[in-house]
Amino acid sequence: MRGAALRWAFLALPIAVVAVFLLAPLGLMVWMSFWERAGLLVRPAFTLAAYYDFFQGARLSVLERSLWVSLEATAISLLIAYPIAYFLAFKARPSATRAVLLLFTVPFLINYIIRTFAWTYLLGRTGPVNGALTALGITQGPVDWLLYSDVSVLVGLITSYMPFMIFPLWMSLAGIDRRLLQASWILGAPPAATFWKITLPLSLPGVFAAVVFGFVGCFGESAVPIIMGGVGYQLMGNTITSTLDVLNFPLAAAMSSIVVAAMLALLGLWYLAFDIRAFLGKIVRWRA
Amino acid sequence: MAGGRPALTPLVWGYIALVLAFLYVPLIPPILFSFETGGGAGALRWYAQIWRNPILTSSMLTTLKIGIAVALAATVLGLASAMAIRELRAPRLVLLLMLLPVFIPGVSMGLATAFFFRQLGLAPSLLTIAIVQVLWALPFATLIVLTAMSSFDPVYLEAAYLSGANRRRAFLDVELPLIWPGISGAATFSLILSFNETVRTAIVQGPYNTVQTYIWSTYKQIGLSPTLYALMSLLILLTLTLVAASLLAGARRAASLRAE
Repeated sequence: MRGAALRWAFLALPIAVVAVFLLAPLGLMVWMSFWERAGLLVRPAFTLAAYYDFFQGARLSVLERSLWVSLEATAISLLIAYPIAYFLAFKARPSATRAVLLLFTVPFLINYIIRTFAWTYLLGRTGPVNGALTALGITQGPVDWLLYSDVSVLVGLITSYMPFMIFPLWMSLAGIDRRLLQASWILGAPPAATFWKITLPLSLPGVFAAVVFGFVGCFGESAVPIIMGGVGYQLMGNTITSTLDVLNFPLAAAMSSIVVAAMLALLGLWYLAFDIRAFLGKIVRWRA
Repeated sequence: MAGGRPALTPLVWGYIALVLAFLYVPLIPPILFSFETGGGAGALRWYAQIWRNPILTSSMLTTLKIGIAVALAATVLGLASAMAIRELRAPRLVLLLMLLPVFIPGVSMGLATAFFFRQLGLAPSLLTIAIVQVLWALPFATLIVLTAMSSFDPVYLEAAYLSGANRRRAFLDVELPLIWPGISGAATFSLILSFNETVRTAIVQGPYNTVQTYIWSTYKQIGLSPTLYALMSLLILLTLTLVAASLLAGARRAASLRAE
C-alpha cells in the first residue's frame, strides 16, 4: 500500500509544483492588481484604481502599440516558418528534417538577449548592413531607421520567437494522415486545392499553438524593446518592468494581468477548438 | 507525394539556409568583440579580466549551482509529469498544465512569483531563483521525456509483470534504461535553459547574480563592454558544447545499439 501511495505522490508532484508556484502566484498577481497603494507599500483592497490609471493614462497607447507590433511580428514569423515546416514535413528526407530542426533549436537555446545585442551592431550606423547598403549604392549613406525603430524591434522579436514556432507547425503537419492527401489526389484535386482544403485546415492546431506562443511572447516581451527600441520605446513588457522599478506594484500587476488574460483567452480557445491529441499524436501515446 | 517539382527543391533549401543565416549571424559579433584588437598575446585580455572580478566569479558559481539544481529537479518532474500524462485520467488537462509556463511571458512569470514569495515572507535566494527556472524548463523536459516514452513499447512492461516484477522493478529495470536518452536529453536541455535565462531570474534575483543577470544589469547601467562580450562568448560556446556533447552521446548510443 505504501508503494501505491508513493507512486501517486510522484505522479501528483509536478501538478502540485505548477499549481503552487505558478497558478497561485498568477492568482495572487491578479488579486494584487485590485489592491491600493499605501505609500511605498500595498494594502489588500478592492479598487480599480490601477486599471483606471492604465486605461486613462498615456499607457493605453503602449497597449495599442504592443498589440500592433506583436501582430506584425507573429504574422511575419508565421509566413517565414510555415513553408519551412511544410517542406520538412512533406518533402525533406527524415535525416535532413532532423538536422534542420536541430539547427532551429540551437538559436532558440542561446539567450535571445545576447542575440539581440548583436543586432544593435549589425543594424547600427557603422554596422555591416549599412556598410553593404552604401557600398552597393542602394542608399547614399547609412540609414537611421534600421535601428531604434519599429523595424529593429520587429527584427528582434522575430529572431527571438520565430525559431520555436517551427516546432508546433512541423508537429501538426507531420501528424497529418498521408492517405487523406492521396485520396484528394486520386479524386482529381489539384495540389493547391488539396493544400487549402485539407493540409491547411488539418495543420490549424499547430498554427494556433505557434501563434499563441509567438503573439503572447512578443506581447509581454520586455528586453527586446529596451535593446532595439531605443530611449522611450515602450511595449507592455518593458513598461511593466519600469513600473516595477518605481514600486507601483498594483499598476504593474494590472498590466501583467492584462497580458496573462490575453494569453489565457487564446490558450482556452485553442484547448476548446482543437484536440491536442491530434496535435501531439506523434509523441504521446494516449489512453484509449 | 514524394519529391514535388524538383526545380523547386534547391530554391527551398536556399530559403531555409537564408533564414538560418539570419538566426546564426548574431552569434558572431559578440565573439569578435570579445578579443582585444591588435591581436598578439593580449588578445584574451578581457577573458583574463573575468577571473579577476569577484562579483563575476561568484555569479559564475551561482549560475552553475542553479543550473545543476534546475537540471535535476526539472528532469525528475518532467519524468513524473510524462508518466502522469500517460496514466492519469485527464491527460489533456495535465499536459496543458505542464505546457502553461511556455505561454506565460517572462515578465509576468517573474513578477507573479516575486509577489508570491514576498507575501510568503520568503527572501530571494538561490532556491527562489531555481524554482522560477524549474517552472520555465518543465514544459520542455516533459515534452522530451514524452517523446522518448512514445517510442517505448509497453509490451516490455507487461513482459516484466508476467516475469514477476512489481511496478517499481519493472520501471527501473526495463523502462528507465530504454527511455534514458530522453532523460539525459531533458537534463541537458534544462541545464542549457537555466544558463540562458534572464528575464524571469532578473525579477526574483534579489542580491544574487547569475552570469545572465550580471550581463543584463551591467548593460542597463553602463552599457556593453568587451568583458560583457567575453562573457556572452563563453555562454555561446558553453551552449554549443553542451548541444554537441548530447548529440555525440546520442550517436554513440545509437552505434552501440546497432552493434548489439
